[in-house]
Amino acid sequence: MKFGLFYEHQLPKPYDDEQWDPDQEHQLLKNALDQIELADQLGFDYVFEVEHHFLEEYSHSSAPEIFLAAASQRTKNIRLGHGIVVMPPRYNHPARVAERIATLDLVSDGRVEFGTGESASEMEMGGFGVRREEKKSMWEEATRECVKMMSETPYGGVEGAFVGMPSRNVIPKPLQKPHPPLWVASSRRETTMVAARLGMGSLGFAFETPEELEERVEQYYQLVREECYPMGKAVNPALAVLSVLSCFDSDEEAIDKGLEAAQFFAYSLGYYYNPFTGGSHEPGKMNIYKRFMDTPPEQRWGPLGEGFRGFGGFQGAAIAEEPKDEVTRALWRAAQRGGCIGTPEFIKDTLRKYEASHLDLMIFVAQCGARKHEDVMESIHRTGTKVIPEFKERHEQHQRWRAQQLNGVEYPVNSSI
Amino acid sequence: MPPKLERIKDDSLRRSLTAAQESLRAGHFGDVVHRASDAYAEMLRRDPDLMKGPLGMRRILFYPRLGARLIQEQDGSPAVIYDRETFTFSEAITYFEFAVDSLVREGL
Repeated sequence: MKFGLFYEHQLPKPYDDEQWDPDQEHQLLKNALDQIELADQLGFDYVFEVEHHFLEEYSHSSAPEIFLAAASQRTKNIRLGHGIVVMPPRYNHPARVAERIATLDLVSDGRVEFGTGESASEMEMGGFGVRREEKKSMWEEATRECVKMMSETPYGGVEGAFVGMPSRNVIPKPLQKPHPPLWVASSRRETTMVAARLGMGSLGFAFETPEELEERVEQYYQLVREECYPMGKAVNPALAVLSVLSCFDSDEEAIDKGLEAAQFFAYSLGYYYNPFTGGSHEPGKMNIYKRFMDTPPEQRWGPLGEGFRGFGGFQGAAIAEEPKDEVTRALWRAAQRGGCIGTPEFIKDTLRKYEASHLDLMIFVAQCGARKHEDVMESIHRTGTKVIPEFKERHEQHQRWRAQQLNGVEYPVNSSI
Repeated sequence: MPPKLERIKDDSLRRSLTAAQESLRAGHFGDVVHRASDAYAEMLRRDPDLMKGPLGMRRILFYPRLGARLIQEQDGSPAVIYDRETFTFSEAITYFEFAVDSLVREGL
């Protein structure tokens, strides 16, 4: 199993103010670069950077290609992942995406992971005039053409439903041939099966538990072997999932420094993606953090209420045997939801379950909510020194398992797992 | 573990989704969406309790809205509205997998 970090660039507003302090966004990005540089030195394998627009407080990462380019010059080995590029052409013309991906691949010496997606929030789709019912077909067409642009000389052109372009040679070409590994955001289970059938890695943003994952892994690799019609010129069989990380020397400290931010992550996610309220955000005025802090703690996992499990997977997994002790209960809840909040030993226990399910890549959300930069750095350092080494030692076993799974796959494989 | 499609117990629903799978392989994506949507709506029709409460609302709201969408008629019965008749590969997979997964989860 490999490990990565995931960046939304979350930036809660000050509790008592409608706006951020003037330097907060600047500091947020500089801190994130420090964190990624540290992660690279410690042997983290990947960093994935989202692309979101207009989602105040939840994500200030609207230009990931710029941020990843900066990260490329401060790191040596860590893979630079788009998690994801929003592909409907109204967000990004596929030729511009191809140019940016290739350029980033060149300046990073071939370290790009090309994650793709369609976006789902009303704030973003409405802002760019993308209709929900068309976004998946837009994603499919734009991604297919974008990959051709990166790998064909010249690109032959297309007159599609959403992309129209005459033949041109789209340059530069990426260093990785035929193109960087392809991924698709899979916040819904069925998208993982789309990924398998198109030979793409699945960036699972649904915070699956190890038990949920096991069956999905089996189905995914079976489809890659038997029902794959690749999106690109090479397949990237890989499953990744997200987990919130807060790694400290005691459970109490991990919760104290990490749980509230994890809750804010879930709360703000639910706020923007809730089909009832997601489009009613008042731009520039709403203070989501204040609203969050004013919400009773037991309701902070999200505004959708008990019984909903979607939108980040933090909601109401069966809580039949919840421990009574407060600290144990919080850890149990975190574990139930796939979270990695606790001591290195606790987190390793959780990760061993994912490893047993043959997960390829665990991506940690270390920066979120109002977490302090120093705490994020400490958590990354502790994870890099006390958690990851054990799993790195066993990664060869996983690679042998993968080779068995991919036995008989007739397409070229281009994967960094 | 057998493939998910084989775990659908109901013969007619399994046959319908098996046909959808064949259509997927043959590139008849509109047929896939129709068969998958029909199967899902049939599941709700057979057990109207599945549409009650917050989880029931989720079963309606979270049905994919990619050119076909699920609504609840005034009499409470489910109905599928098609906004178009052509669908892409990824859209067809989405409807197919959603239906298969739902039927297996509900034990049909």
